[in-house]
Amino acid sequence: MMPANKGKIFSQYEIITIMFYFTMALLHPIILVITYLFDIASVVDVLKFSFWLMIGILSLTLVGGVLLLTQKDRLKRRVKPAYRNEYITLLFLSAFGLLGFAVLYDYLGGNRQYIANVLTVILALMVYVLIVLGRKYFKFDYMRQK
Amino acid sequence: MKKKPISDDRLNRIIKYLAIALLFLAVLFMAVQFSSVWSWIIDAIKAVIVPVGLAYLSALIMFPLIKYLEKKGIGPRGLSLAIVFLLSVGIIFALFYFVTPFVVSEITDFFNDEFPKILDYLTGDLRDDFIFGTDAYDRLFEYLEESDLINNWLNATLPNLLNQLGSFLFPLLTAIAILPILLIYYLLDYEMLSDRLRSIIPQKQEKAVAELGSRLNQTVGAYLRGQILLMLAIGTVATIVYKLIGLKYYFIFGVLVGITNIIPYFGTILAALPPTIYTFIIGGTPGPLLVLGVNVVLQFIEGNIFQPIIMAHQLQMHPLVIITSILFFGSLFGALGVIFASPIAASIRVIWQFFREQRQAANMTPITGGDASP
Repeated sequence: MMPANKGKIFSQYEIITIMFYFTMALLHPIILVITYLFDIASVVDVLKFSFWLMIGILSLTLVGGVLLLTQKDRLKRRVKPAYRNEYITLLFLSAFGLLGFAVLYDYLGGNRQYIANVLTVILALMVYVLIVLGRKYFKFDYMRQK
Repeated sequence: MKKKPISDDRLNRIIKYLAIALLFLAVLFMAVQFSSVWSWIIDAIKAVIVPVGLAYLSALIMFPLIKYLEKKGIGPRGLSLAIVFLLSVGIIFALFYFVTPFVVSEITDFFNDEFPKILDYLTGDLRDDFIFGTDAYDRLFEYLEESDLINNWLNATLPNLLNQLGSFLFPLLTAIAILPILLIYYLLDYEMLSDRLRSIIPQKQEKAVAELGSRLNQTVGAYLRGQILLMLAIGTVATIVYKLIGLKYYFIFGVLVGITNIIPYFGTILAALPPTIYTFIIGGTPGPLLVLGVNVVLQFIEGNIFQPIIMAHQLQMHPLVIITSILFFGSLFGALGVIFASPIAASIRVIWQFFREQRQAANMTPITGGDASP
């Protein structure tokens, strides 16, 4: 039996909603990665910074979520056959997010020896999520790319 | 068996090709005779082509942004151009402002702390680790000292290198200085300039040339935008991973990965060599194998996941074609040839495909015998 939404093309509302919540989920590690690059740990207390960053992201998620709901009708009317560029953005966000988790692990005092193990587990999860999202919503099947 | 005589048609064709080859050689001979005149003309063309080429390439990146802003109702052209221009200048300045101190401090640290260690290794520890034994090392060292080979080579190469650098840097700096002005006028009248260029082309070929131009623009533009995105991403990721594994001078090595990423295949090796050699000589953690492994994994992810998706199929060419084009254009145009070998090869492929399609279309048009009118 065919799945119900096999051939369904999703509107920009669904795509933007996915991208928004995906970005918000990864924003904390992404910002941490950038701060890590510029050695912010030597200037501020990383845990405090991380805490306030989380609060900021949570408020941003709330505001963004409400804004998305207000734009729902307008965005629902916009449809594209495939969302390639949006998928590429998601891919880049995931790459930096993945590194961000490793940085977060480092900041939280995790043993550096096991960073590769942590990265592998998160990478496998992320790849699975990306493939499913790409196939189902973005109409971009990476596994079938030639 | 009696040999078949050559037909008149075949003979005519052979004579025609011979005449063309002779004429070509004659033109080449004349050109060589007047080489001093040609060098003036080529110098003048070079002086124009570098800034105009840079403006064209920058426009390929900036014009889609201007068009996007205009589509969103941000206009007229002057306003959208000002926004994109100020944004680009701001990003470049911010990048220099934040990145330069890191780079300078890492280079200074390297020459203060590590360079003496590397010299010590080359003159001390390398002798014990030398693969052909200490005797061979001593003989080699003696030969190098006696023959003054390194000094002679440096004396012969350095002035030449500095000369070449000067002749390369001066036009480049001039081009960069006038680039903003050229770019502003080019982007302001982008459509008008394209129309003017089209008006030069004979009407019969106008449609075909416009189609070819648009395809070339698309290919080169896609390459440039994709490449810049990839360079930034891979450079940043490499810097972060290098820092995570505890590599000293992670910033320089990471920037190197980003910059060399512009050269397909060879760039990977160029970027992986310095940190690997550095960790091999200095020792400690991370080891050279880990650094090499990180590079291999990064390049694998970049080459197999990001590049095919970002570059799409517009620049997909056989690795052999890319490597050959790098060698060929590199020897022809130097560093710029190496950097732009892939888009040049892709452009040649686009032109080839375009003419093949044209020929096929011409072959497919039905041949009408005489007047078709009723």
